Amino acid sequence: MITQSAPTPARRPKTRFDDGPYLPLVLGTISVVLCLLVWQLAVSWIGVPHYVLPEPLGVFHALVDGLSGSVSDRGSFWYHLLDTFKTTAFGFLIGSAIGIALAALMSQSVYFHGIVFPYVVVLQSLPKIAIAPLFIIWFGYQIESKIAMAATLTVFPVLLNSLQGLTTTDSDRLEVMMALKATRWQTFWHVKLPSALPLIFAGLNLGIVYAQLGAIVAEFVGAQKGMGVMMLQLQSVSDTAGVFAVLVVLATTGYLLITLMRTIHRHVIFWENTASKSKTQSG
Amino acid sequence: MNDMAEKPQLLKVVDLTKDYSTRSGVHVTALPGVSMTLEDGEFVSVVGPSGCGKTTLLKILAGIIQPTSGQVLYRGRHITGAQRGMGVVFQSPVLMPWLKIIDNVLLPAKVIGLDRTAARATAMELLELVGLGGFENKYPFELSGGMQQRASIVRSLVHDPAILLMDEPFGALDALTREHMNVELQRIWLSRRKTVFFITHSISEAVYLSDRVLVMSARPGRFIRDLRISFPRPRDYDCTATAEFGDYVKQIRQLLVRHEDHNS
Repeated sequence: MITQSAPTPARRPKTRFDDGPYLPLVLGTISVVLCLLVWQLAVSWIGVPHYVLPEPLGVFHALVDGLSGSVSDRGSFWYHLLDTFKTTAFGFLIGSAIGIALAALMSQSVYFHGIVFPYVVVLQSLPKIAIAPLFIIWFGYQIESKIAMAATLTVFPVLLNSLQGLTTTDSDRLEVMMALKATRWQTFWHVKLPSALPLIFAGLNLGIVYAQLGAIVAEFVGAQKGMGVMMLQLQSVSDTAGVFAVLVVLATTGYLLITLMRTIHRHVIFWENTASKSKTQSG
Repeated sequence: MNDMAEKPQLLKVVDLTKDYSTRSGVHVTALPGVSMTLEDGEFVSVVGPSGCGKTTLLKILAGIIQPTSGQVLYRGRHITGAQRGMGVVFQSPVLMPWLKIIDNVLLPAKVIGLDRTAARATAMELLELVGLGGFENKYPFELSGGMQQRASIVRSLVHDPAILLMDEPFGALDALTREHMNVELQRIWLSRRKTVFFITHSISEAVYLSDRVLVMSARPGRFIRDLRISFPRPRDYDCTATAEFGDYVKQIRQLLVRHEDHNS
């Protein structure tokens, strides 16, 4: 099972960073600058060929080049990034909706669980990327097959985490509902689902990363546009600096997506941090 | 127990047993067959050592667990499962952290499907009664442990149950808060006149609050004494310092200690 404990806010012990919260930031910046400098000098002095390892400056130029075109320009990053983003977004939404719905039904009905479980196990054991060629046969070279891939990769982390969250509800909370003679679905909506939200979000945080991964993989396998397609084009003309620039863009969008999910997570499960805070205060 | 004509029996428990089998296949008797009655409007406490089956008994009455054998009669009718005529207060407040206090205490009304405006008015009135007026829009984590437990008492009362089942509700509180909560509970009980079935470890808490104290022996738990407490109401907390109060406490403690000696 893929589980990831919900991210807890970094409440650092005071003894560790006496010099304030800026020290790690300063150290991190120095480290990155030094690394780029060593890389630049190594490439230009030792003479590594540019198609093996481009200079950081070359990557920077490729990045500026790629980002300066307009959305309608086939050579610009924006043209491809927009398609990859659409794929990621739709794939994530469809995949997480399916994942949460399946988890809900599986947790509510032993019959449904029994019927669906074998397929979940088989599909989970399968390297899901290997389904990509099939999706192209079924959905063609357009965005549909890419979305199908992104959604497929999203479903499992969301499904498994949600299922775990929905089946491990605190027994005290369930007893409150039992004493009220609540129906199965009343218990689900009032107690099980909200109780499972931290784990559901852990699944969604993984899901958004997997959705982008699915989009890129589908673009490698066969598509008309997207960052994966752009990367293959750059690779075919040995524009290694360009490939690096695409990687920089993908790392940035990945970071932004994760940050977005964390922000939503914090706002939806507002009680999570406060509850633990009050616990540490009283303890 | 025989004055059936005088007071109506609200709840009658006949020969209730509960067996568990552990994972290793060992049979454990949690309840060996207990009988008791609750009369309308009575405050009855059960005291007994840990693991004597008090909580098991309460959970059977609440319909949370099923007995192995025996009967529970509610208003003369044989019942199985949860009854909406009962409210339960647990050892910990068990409030839902994502709901405001008002929505927490209205949860039973929502589940049962009571009229929203009427239930809200009742809830506000009860919150006022337990001293939580003005806290209805706070979240549980903004309240102290004692306040949370008071909110959970309001939740157990909001659907106007005939019987209140309380499972060591003040066990987790510090001694001073606990005394205060005992006084509060008596006040709430005097103003609402519910039948209360109250489980506790504390002998003095039981004596202070109850009309009757049922003393339970160690596992497997049986009722070894049904003691009527004849202090007038309302009881001042100072009555706990009187000789008469001390006699009750001593009597119950001796019963518990004697039974422990027999068992070991």
